[in-house]
Amino acid sequence: MEQSKSTQSRRSFLKSSLLAGGGLMISFAWLPGVGLADTSKDVDPAEQWNELNGYIKISSDNIIRIFNPNPEFGQNVMTSLPMIIAEELEADWEKIVVEMGPHDNIKLGPQFTGGSNSVRMYWKPLREAGAAARHMLIQAAAQTWNVPMEEVTTKAGMLYHAKSGKSGTYGSFASKASGIPIPQGIKLKDVKNLNVVRNSKKNVEGSKIVSGKPLFGLDYKQEGMLIAMIQHPPAFGMKLQSFDASQALQMPGIKDVFTLELYEDGFEQGGFDTRTFNDLLVIVGNTTWKVMNARKKLIVQWEAAGDTKDTMGGRGAKREVIVPGELESTSTQFEKMQEYAKKPAQQLRKDGDPETAFKNAAQIIERTYNAPFLAHNCMEPMNFFAHVTDEKALLAGPLQAPGWTEPTLSKILKLPADKIEIQMTRMGGGFGRRAYGHYLSEAALISKKVKAPIKLIYTREDDMTYGIYRPMYTATYRAALDANKNLIAFHVKGGGIPEHAIHANRFPAGAVDNYLAEGWQIPSNITIGAFRAPRSNFNAAAEQSFLDELAEIMGKDPIDFRLELLKRAKENPVGKNNEYDPDRYAGILKLVKQKSGWGKPENKNRNRGVAAYFCHNSYAAHVVDMVMKNGHPFVESVYSAIDCGIVINPDAATNMVEGAVIDGIGNTLFGRLSHKDGVPEQNNFHSYRMIRHSEAPNKIEVHFVQNDIDPTGLGEPPFPPVFGAVANALYKTTNRRYYNQPFFEQALQSTNKPKIRRSIQ
Amino acid sequence: MKIKFGKKLLFSLKKVIIVITVMVTVIGLSASAFRTNNDGETVTREKLDKIDSVASLAAFEKVYKVLMSPRCMNCHPAGDIPLQGDDSHIHTMSPMRGKDGKGVYAMKCSNCHQPSNSPGLRTPPGNPKWGLPPADMKMVFEGKSARELALQIMDYKQNGHKNKAKLIEHARDTLVKAGWNMGEGRKPPPLAYKDFVEAWDEWINNGGIAPKN
Amino acid sequence: MLKLNINKKNYELNIDPDTPLLWVLRDVIGLVGTKYGCGVAQCGACVVHLNGEAVRSCVTKVSRAAGQQVVTIEGLSVNNDHPLQKAWLELDVSQCGYCQAGQIMSAAVLLNENKNPTDKDINNAMEGNICRCGTYLRIHQAIHLAAEIQRKGSK
Repeated sequence: MEQSKSTQSRRSFLKSSLLAGGGLMISFAWLPGVGLADTSKDVDPAEQWNELNGYIKISSDNIIRIFNPNPEFGQNVMTSLPMIIAEELEADWEKIVVEMGPHDNIKLGPQFTGGSNSVRMYWKPLREAGAAARHMLIQAAAQTWNVPMEEVTTKAGMLYHAKSGKSGTYGSFASKASGIPIPQGIKLKDVKNLNVVRNSKKNVEGSKIVSGKPLFGLDYKQEGMLIAMIQHPPAFGMKLQSFDASQALQMPGIKDVFTLELYEDGFEQGGFDTRTFNDLLVIVGNTTWKVMNARKKLIVQWEAAGDTKDTMGGRGAKREVIVPGELESTSTQFEKMQEYAKKPAQQLRKDGDPETAFKNAAQIIERTYNAPFLAHNCMEPMNFFAHVTDEKALLAGPLQAPGWTEPTLSKILKLPADKIEIQMTRMGGGFGRRAYGHYLSEAALISKKVKAPIKLIYTREDDMTYGIYRPMYTATYRAALDANKNLIAFHVKGGGIPEHAIHANRFPAGAVDNYLAEGWQIPSNITIGAFRAPRSNFNAAAEQSFLDELAEIMGKDPIDFRLELLKRAKENPVGKNNEYDPDRYAGILKLVKQKSGWGKPENKNRNRGVAAYFCHNSYAAHVVDMVMKNGHPFVESVYSAIDCGIVINPDAATNMVEGAVIDGIGNTLFGRLSHKDGVPEQNNFHSYRMIRHSEAPNKIEVHFVQNDIDPTGLGEPPFPPVFGAVANALYKTTNRRYYNQPFFEQALQSTNKPKIRRSIQ
Repeated sequence: MKIKFGKKLLFSLKKVIIVITVMVTVIGLSASAFRTNNDGETVTREKLDKIDSVASLAAFEKVYKVLMSPRCMNCHPAGDIPLQGDDSHIHTMSPMRGKDGKGVYAMKCSNCHQPSNSPGLRTPPGNPKWGLPPADMKMVFEGKSARELALQIMDYKQNGHKNKAKLIEHARDTLVKAGWNMGEGRKPPPLAYKDFVEAWDEWINNGGIAPKN
Repeated sequence: MLKLNINKKNYELNIDPDTPLLWVLRDVIGLVGTKYGCGVAQCGACVVHLNGEAVRSCVTKVSRAAGQQVVTIEGLSVNNDHPLQKAWLELDVSQCGYCQAGQIMSAAVLLNENKNPTDKDINNAMEGNICRCGTYLRIHQAIHLAAEIQRKGSK
């Protein structure tokens, strides 16, 4: 890459601003720094590639290469983002070759996969990039044919001049077009005329996936590459004391065993520099199995780390944070949460006079909800390739946000950013986990130390016990009803280890006259990270269960009750900064009501639960039908209604919603990462129960609201309300409310059968 | 088969009488143990002669503990899915028995359970014969009382058509023996293998008596 | 010297016979379509065919495969045209795609032994294959579709 890649210039490229509700809003301009093709680079031996901009290269024989900017982790951006370019470029989709772009925040924008932001943040820039390239091709053709630009039309990768009958491929004008300065402010298509977008396209890497081609970080290889593993402490709150590697070093294929410090004392950590352990015991050898085997021969002494100190930079001023050294257990964490819940907390939002309203209430309903830590369990464990020399660094592997890790690498490797190349492989799942690049930094330091290309591999056990979990949460919801059972006040007080989940400005804020939201948190050495719809994934469970119970007590239909509140929020909203659009919120409820036949006599006997939620700028509602099958709760069918604006790739979007539903059911019923004296009690899939084939619903019916709103997020929004819908269906199925996730074992107990066996047929 | 009356018979008549009194309560079993034997073997006085039902019952008490331990019971489940672990939970991923007890389709026992134990914690234990009893002879241990289990084992129709000799031999089966060597982290049965075989033989050689309950 | 036949190709390797087949495939032979997911036969990402059976290569010692027929995802078909691969593409099953090779290899054994599997048969065959993205529904549909393609093809 030829451009200067200083951190500063990149940072200036990203315009980040914190929204009132805490969501990170990212916008950027797509226009690259240079408009001319750099012919010294990327010359394919067979043909000349003409670069029209960072996203588009066209060969003279009319092959169009589109560079996908954002890392792919299963959300299908490798297909959907190029579709947006192809739309405005008027390219023939069948003739497009899609490739993962290089890490280049100047040419390719933020390149960050997360926060359901990929399509949302790239929607406009990619349309502009496609439209600009098309404009350049038209200009080149007009010049060549000596006709006015206005008379040149395009269709499916061809240029036409009707009057003269001239035509030519994009390829034949690509060279000339690449020399034209990139125009700005090109008019984009009317969204009514989209014909690539909104039409399902197959995953561009589908064939490679089903034939086992190397795609993933774990598949990446280089000549002379060594395998490295890290033996991390068995418990949170422990650190390395001493080790004896003499036996391990005698094992075949083992090159070295050594220790490394990830961050130097006082290293200023950015928001995604989370790391659980800093003193790394590293073992390096020539094959995975040899290293795995030799690891067992390491004799290691661990000791209590005691309280430690993190220096946090990133958002806000530099500050020091004490990480408590306690060896925590789930039972004691739970007790601690109950104790903290009684203490005064930070007020996050207050409307009206909730105290008085609760004092005057005819009836107060109070319920507390709890949820455990969750591990991401991406199917591909954390890993990264690194080849670091004194001059430069090449890294390749699965990562959600290379632009966030590169500045960290630059600091710890003491190399300028333009000497660091990060290649993004397809990721075997992400779910937020791979936004935290510690494993990449570790790989880089190991390579630097052994002076060889290496691949750092986390075993499943390493991966599951490392932390960066979804936090452990609790929340107490209170509702005040007057004598006529009208909702007069609403109070939520949420806490968590080490952070609470409360989104104070979300529904039902804005719909209740007297409203109070509070939050508190307990510091911990158990590290946490974003997990598919952070915080929302707990709120939607708790709040949507509470509203369901409330509706029942008030004698109302749960959908009608929500619609009433939303009507209030629209017509006469309470307070300011309400994050959601009541119309869109009500829209998904109405759609799911209609599609599921909610309230219809033929569905009277179904055990149905409903929930809806707004997050990541989109709206999702589910109706879940549950039965008891062979003595255990089984979600038979699900109806989903989603409003995420324009849907780029409908079939892939449907797939993602189906996946979110199944992921949600699994985590609601089974997901749990618990601790005993700092040791995670689950370390592989024998003890961490994942949803499996027979537990997936028979049917998931996905409906998208049809509108012309610019696309918003989809990876996360359908996930959180699944928790609430499952909880509410479970109540109908077993006649018991559930407050403590995961629910499966409790649901078995409520069936009054002494010992229920799973899947006996 | 010849029928012989020997000196021993007279000598041990007293014992037989005691045995009979004990056997009153377990007559159902002894009947099945001795009379459902339809491979042509006739019940002989010589055999009766050897019976020590007190010893048999005492031996079965030990045998029962072993058979109901996870290492044995997990592959003799009440349903068609084996159990797993020291807490005998349903085997993860719910592998099905299949007709021959060797699993079905992509979920055959030997796909994970190797000819020998896999190294490491919580890896599949191994044996070349790994499997459940076949679908037509399920030999359920799970949930069985001592009496029920003893009756079942001694019942030719339910025990995989095993006569006494075959039963004795079964304790020496390599898969049964594998119960005492199931890899790291798995609790062995409550009796040493040698003691189990001894108890098993004693139980069966003394008539395979089923306890009262 | 250990003799292996993988995807109809012969290999002679000088290797510790206790090495799991998975790591021989990935690290030694360079066939990386077979994935590591758990290492303890829990997730199914590493399923390959050993004499037609869907063994989990992470716990299968390479010595067990010596002289036997091993087929990996790379060798399932010549042109990516196994009915399952066709069905997977037709229904665009994959999300992240990491588990799918294992899913397909398990499903292939099911279709070998049962030309017209029911949903229950599919559950019984596939329960050992975890998909973290939750593509189970599409996998079921794709197996049904592949069975149909297979039946039509054999007519």
